[in-house]
Amino acid sequence: MQNGSSTSVWVVCAAYNEEATIARVVASVRNARLNIVVVDDGSIDRTRDLAGTAGAAVVRHPINLGQGAALKTGIDYALSQGADILVTFDADGQHRVSDIPALLDALARERADFALGSRFLNHSPHVPIARRILLWGATLFTTITTGLRLTDTHNGLRAFTRQGAAALRLRQNRMAHASEILADIAASGRHYVEIPVTIDYTAYSLAKGQHGGDFVMILLDLFARRLHR
Amino acid sequence: MIAQTVLSLLLCSVLVYSWAEHKRASIVALASATAALAGLYFVWFPSHSTWAAELVGIGRGADLILYMWVCISLIILLNLHLKLRNQHELITALARTIALANTGSHSEERRLHTGPPPSTPVMDETDEPGRCAASADGHNSRRTPDEPFDFDRSGPAEIGGTCARASRVG
Repeated sequence: MQNGSSTSVWVVCAAYNEEATIARVVASVRNARLNIVVVDDGSIDRTRDLAGTAGAAVVRHPINLGQGAALKTGIDYALSQGADILVTFDADGQHRVSDIPALLDALARERADFALGSRFLNHSPHVPIARRILLWGATLFTTITTGLRLTDTHNGLRAFTRQGAAALRLRQNRMAHASEILADIAASGRHYVEIPVTIDYTAYSLAKGQHGGDFVMILLDLFARRLHR
Repeated sequence: MIAQTVLSLLLCSVLVYSWAEHKRASIVALASATAALAGLYFVWFPSHSTWAAELVGIGRGADLILYMWVCISLIILLNLHLKLRNQHELITALARTIALANTGSHSEERRLHTGPPPSTPVMDETDEPGRCAASADGHNSRRTPDEPFDFDRSGPAEIGGTCARASRVG
């Protein structure tokens, strides 16, 4: 996908009770002159108002459905707005807007439909040991189940072309959506690339992120998905 | 004989259940049908169940049947769980449709209340986020060719007429 002057880029941000960070995240994206849609996943705080005031389009779920469902809603919305490229971006402030151009360049340069951020590619960041073990297990699982050779399977910073985004079914509402996205990428047969990005861990983002018990639930969700049409 | 008849009726109902479910959850249907057929067989040939129980290390045939019944119950429980997931997917689709529809209807409502349709506002690139400037053609007229990304083609401000109001949905 070309990253020319006529390319419409939309950042999709799923948010649930993120009033502490959402305004800053939206502002940073808007400062980069990118469109952003925040999907407020039924927050009970001021997430929706803060995101809108900061300049985001906001779509609000009437009930809390989960990050995967919110991303799918945001993707549907961005596609309806004519997005050529979609970028998924976490609302907790752990991603850097400055990493987005590298993803977009990779899509154009490699003629890929998916550019996936990786915190482990080309460098060894400081990642808490528990988180590192969790991510290693997820990477191993993804390699076995999808055949994709990736270094970071649960990184929320990704870019898709319009065609790539349309190939994502995203039926996993909760944390298993990250694995499902990779399974869909593998099933689509479309070209993907992995790009190094930086994750800024904070106490806030670690508290919001996944934990060991989540991995068990993700496995159960993925297993249940295969049993039922 | 009475017990055999009652058990047979129950196991037959499991078979009917399996048949009804085989299109939606084929693995669950296959597992429950297999267990039910085995149960039927052992109900009518209990001596074989004793032999089979000893073969797999269970003391009595009655115990084997009991365990199989537990297995059937667990499989049906699993299927109920899967059905709940299916219901949740439908709820998700419904909630998504409502969310997107509310976004669109709110936009239309705001246009009606603010008189003539405004020109599509886009954020002034020199302004702070959240501040908008109208542009007649929906594009930012001050964009220069060397900018890394195109700015609003249609713009998030489409929702509700201004950037700041874009969040007033639902």
